[in-house]
Amino acid sequence: MLPLSIKDDEYKPPKFNLLHKVSGWFRSILSDKTSRNLFFFLCLNLSFAFVELLYGIWSNSLGLISDSFHMFFDCTALLAGLAASVISKWRSNDAFSYGYVRAEVLAGFVNGLFLIFTAFFIFSEGVERALEPPDVHHERLLPVSILGFLVNLIGIFVFQHGGHGHSHGSGHEHSHSLFNGHAHSHDSKHEHEHSHDHSHGHGHSHSQDYCHGKCLYLETNSHTDRKILCVFLHIVADTLGSVGVIISALLMQNYGLMIADPICSMLIALLIGVSVVPLLRKSIGILMQRTPPSLENALPPCYQRVQQLQGVYSLHDPHFWTLCTDVYIGTLKLFVAPDADAKWILSQTHNIFTQVCTL
Amino acid sequence: MEEKYSGEALAGGGRLGPVDVPSARLTRYIILLCFTKFLKALGLFESYNLLKVVHLVQFIFIVKLGSAFFMVLFQKPFSSGKSITKHQWIRIVKHAVGGCIISLLWFFGLTLCGPLRTLLLFEHSDIVVVSLLSVLFTSSGGGPAKTRGAAFFIIAVICLLLFDNDDLMAKIAEHPEGHHDSALTHILYTIIAFLGVADHKGGVLLLALALCCKVGFHTVSRKLSVDVGGAKRLQALSHLVSVLLLCPWVIVLSLTTESKVESWSALIMPFITVIFFVVILDFYVESICSVKMEASKCARYGSFLIFISALLFGNFWTHPITDQLRAMNKPAHQESTEHVLSGGVVVSAIFFILSANILSSPSRKGQKGTLIGYSPEGIPLYNFMGDALQHSSQSLPRFIKESLKQILEEYDSRQIFYFLCLNLAFTFVELFYGVWTNSLGLISDGFHMLFDCSALVMGLFAALMTRWKATRIFSYGYGRVEILSGFINGLFLMVIAFFVFVESVARLVYPPDIDTNMLTQVSVGGLIVNLVGICAFSHAHSHGASRGGCHSHDHSHSHHGHSHGHGHSHSDHGHGHSHGSSGGGMNTNMRGVFLHVLADTLGSVGVIISTIFIQQFGWLIADPLCSLFIATLIFLSVIPLIKDACQVLLLRVPPEHERDLHIALEKIQKIDGVISYRDPHFWCHSASVVAGTIHVQVMSEVLEQRIVQQVTAILKDVGVNNLTVQVEKEAYFQHMSGLSTGFHDILAMTQQMESMKYYKDGTYIM
Repeated sequence: MLPLSIKDDEYKPPKFNLLHKVSGWFRSILSDKTSRNLFFFLCLNLSFAFVELLYGIWSNSLGLISDSFHMFFDCTALLAGLAASVISKWRSNDAFSYGYVRAEVLAGFVNGLFLIFTAFFIFSEGVERALEPPDVHHERLLPVSILGFLVNLIGIFVFQHGGHGHSHGSGHEHSHSLFNGHAHSHDSKHEHEHSHDHSHGHGHSHSQDYCHGKCLYLETNSHTDRKILCVFLHIVADTLGSVGVIISALLMQNYGLMIADPICSMLIALLIGVSVVPLLRKSIGILMQRTPPSLENALPPCYQRVQQLQGVYSLHDPHFWTLCTDVYIGTLKLFVAPDADAKWILSQTHNIFTQVCTL
Repeated sequence: MEEKYSGEALAGGGRLGPVDVPSARLTRYIILLCFTKFLKALGLFESYNLLKVVHLVQFIFIVKLGSAFFMVLFQKPFSSGKSITKHQWIRIVKHAVGGCIISLLWFFGLTLCGPLRTLLLFEHSDIVVVSLLSVLFTSSGGGPAKTRGAAFFIIAVICLLLFDNDDLMAKIAEHPEGHHDSALTHILYTIIAFLGVADHKGGVLLLALALCCKVGFHTVSRKLSVDVGGAKRLQALSHLVSVLLLCPWVIVLSLTTESKVESWSALIMPFITVIFFVVILDFYVESICSVKMEASKCARYGSFLIFISALLFGNFWTHPITDQLRAMNKPAHQESTEHVLSGGVVVSAIFFILSANILSSPSRKGQKGTLIGYSPEGIPLYNFMGDALQHSSQSLPRFIKESLKQILEEYDSRQIFYFLCLNLAFTFVELFYGVWTNSLGLISDGFHMLFDCSALVMGLFAALMTRWKATRIFSYGYGRVEILSGFINGLFLMVIAFFVFVESVARLVYPPDIDTNMLTQVSVGGLIVNLVGICAFSHAHSHGASRGGCHSHDHSHSHHGHSHGHGHSHSDHGHGHSHGSSGGGMNTNMRGVFLHVLADTLGSVGVIISTIFIQQFGWLIADPLCSLFIATLIFLSVIPLIKDACQVLLLRVPPEHERDLHIALEKIQKIDGVISYRDPHFWCHSASVVAGTIHVQVMSEVLEQRIVQQVTAILKDVGVNNLTVQVEKEAYFQHMSGLSTGFHDILAMTQQMESMKYYKDGTYIM
């Protein structure tokens, strides 16, 4: 999905063959836990999509075919995450002097955008259906939705565990995978949902509506309190989504209120939208080289301290930005007196900022 | 805001603030008001049902009679208070005549356009209407907020007039000259018919007229009510007089026409409810509330509540459940679909609520400053300080004017803006035409176009935002926005292409039957619009070359060559040419927008071609094939854009500067006194900003300033315009190790490539 090919062939002529390269990728994928999970889910998802496609062609069912294409589309998000997790491990070279670590931010951004698109489509379809409620086959919906709810709960517990591992795990190497962790849980749930979908046959358009509801699991900041809040919110959003599906199934089954389904899907779309927006905002901030929000308040005192150093006249063009998660980069220019000890100022300044940033 | 304001005044001014009742005591009145308004809405709906069986004049007569009876009972206007002079009696008669005319208009409007619309139009308090009229007809309307409110009001009325598909319109139109009970109704009908509007719309106009009359009437009668001794007494007397006035008419009427009412006894209950709810209760509660609360607050809550309850009733009045609850009106039952909710009504209700809110809010700033309250001596206190002079809320027209100016300043955004306008105009024409002819296909296509416009809006916004100044937070400025916008546009196109692909695959299997009637004209129109857009943007492209970007030519070349090679539309040809001559690239944002427009054009071309095939040869498969082809084309043409954007976002060394930078770095190595350099980072922040940082290690005896100057000069030649250089000497590392926390830092310094923790680069300039 992401055309991340580099055009630096003139500097690095390819010496090894394709097989070697691919096996190298595999090794790098399998070496990390997150990308390994991601890869397995991708494989499952893809194989399932293929099975569905083949079965659809064989049984000549249009619904299955289009659903399998939907799944391919869903895979792209996963693929983006996986590609990012591979790419972000690449060594920096002449062209990409900072390395490829930003790929994961980009992947998170793409994922968020796709989720927004999906939410929008679900929402518009929900509106359409609210105006003209179609006939939904709701015989097997209730068990399926309860099953989905259970799966969702399991997913929450498992991934929350994983998420904690990330945040507690040492430093930046692990939290590098922040944006990918999002993608991967996303897909795990997709996979489950689609299997239900298959089993219950043809209601693809319906279960399509709610399968996106649970595909969210965002890990956010390294700040623990905010993180806990975020995780909690997402758990609530997730469970609310599936509880909504169960309720709408009940309503449809018992009272024949067909409008419950579109309303539920609209709510889910809203939930997706609301929970994706912070992720998008954060990644846009990073991509635009914004001053990291965590440093926003810490920086002005630092500037003051630097300006109070002996021999420093003034301070210019401070640029502080986030390279990738937990890696901040800052540059600034100093005017110093002609007779000042430049070396000393330099090291002092360096020290001031390093101290603040490790706080 | 209101509470906050008065609270501040209380806190700041101590006893000087306005006499403000605590909100806890106000809630009682608000609840009372709410209840009353709800009942009033109920009563109006009931009276609409009554008016179906009872003649208008009779109805008004009975209502007036009942209310006069009760009010005389409550107020005792003859036994209490001072006696009324003859002159005052004449004025009361005039008042009664005015009241009768207004209620005639009101209830006639009610019969014409149903209770819901009547409530929406007529139940505005005087404050709202007065401020609306003052905005419309005087120059000192009270600032931009009031103007906004007036605009909302007018929009709401227009919504009711134009977008309200009322079912009764058709029904009445069937018998335009049917049974008209009296001369008065007949005259009104003929007037409306003469004006050439439908009955329902005539009702709307009538009600608007009645509303204005009512406000004028209230204003005029205020003095009289003071003279007579209270509004309540005046009301009671006026009702009585109007009963006497209407009496002969009703007698004549009941003699000449035969009544449609089977049993008057069954109508007693509904009449009593109407009298109580619509006239008496509302009158008393309104007067109490306007005394206890501020009039503006009262108006705001009242109109809000009555509109909401009107909407609720409008939705549920004809519902089967409420039918069971209602006691009477079996005959009115069969027409349960008339005057139902429609989108236009809901929209206009929302606008009415908004406008009532805005218009009834007290104007804070006037020429005389803000009234804070009254001093203990009773002298009004005004505030001339800051916030009265500079209003916090920016005027909408001024904001629009300023942003328009900004948009028109730059070439890119101007192009996008004009094209957006064109597109929007086309869309609205399409939508209007679709609504007019009730064609679903056109409407959905219009919405699709509207959706497409969102890409343009995003591009426009990005083009604006790019010019924002760098802030403390976004220290490099907002130049990246245009890359992000291009990227999002590209992704969006990819998603669309993917879905089109999928759908066309599905259609390949089962080619559906396509209705080609409207399609051709619409797609030809779209094609023309989009061709204009392509011309404009390709023109922009050849101009934009002078700006020079950091985007590689070869990428954009490949893209242009691509679409050119397929020979899809002639404007592409021109595009390729202009490109070849200028040799620059437009920025990512413009490329994204351009691609979007291109995709739309291809879509219309595809539709036209496939329509021709289907109509001429009956090849149904032409449509999916076409869309398949187009999807692939879009996909392939977007890839270079996304690739470029990704490279920028991944902080790649700008490809077109890559070779130069290598040479420059070699030059730096050769500068006198430079031992080595490390961590050269160069990246493209936006189209015009190339940022870079480098650490240079120098001998201990050379001057830093000279090194910095030379390095900066060398790199500036290459195009790096935002450079930070850190000059390091032997002593620097000694300092670092000498500091208390130095050890880790030294470690970090030496292993900087592994753990890029925090870089601190300082430049020394003179």
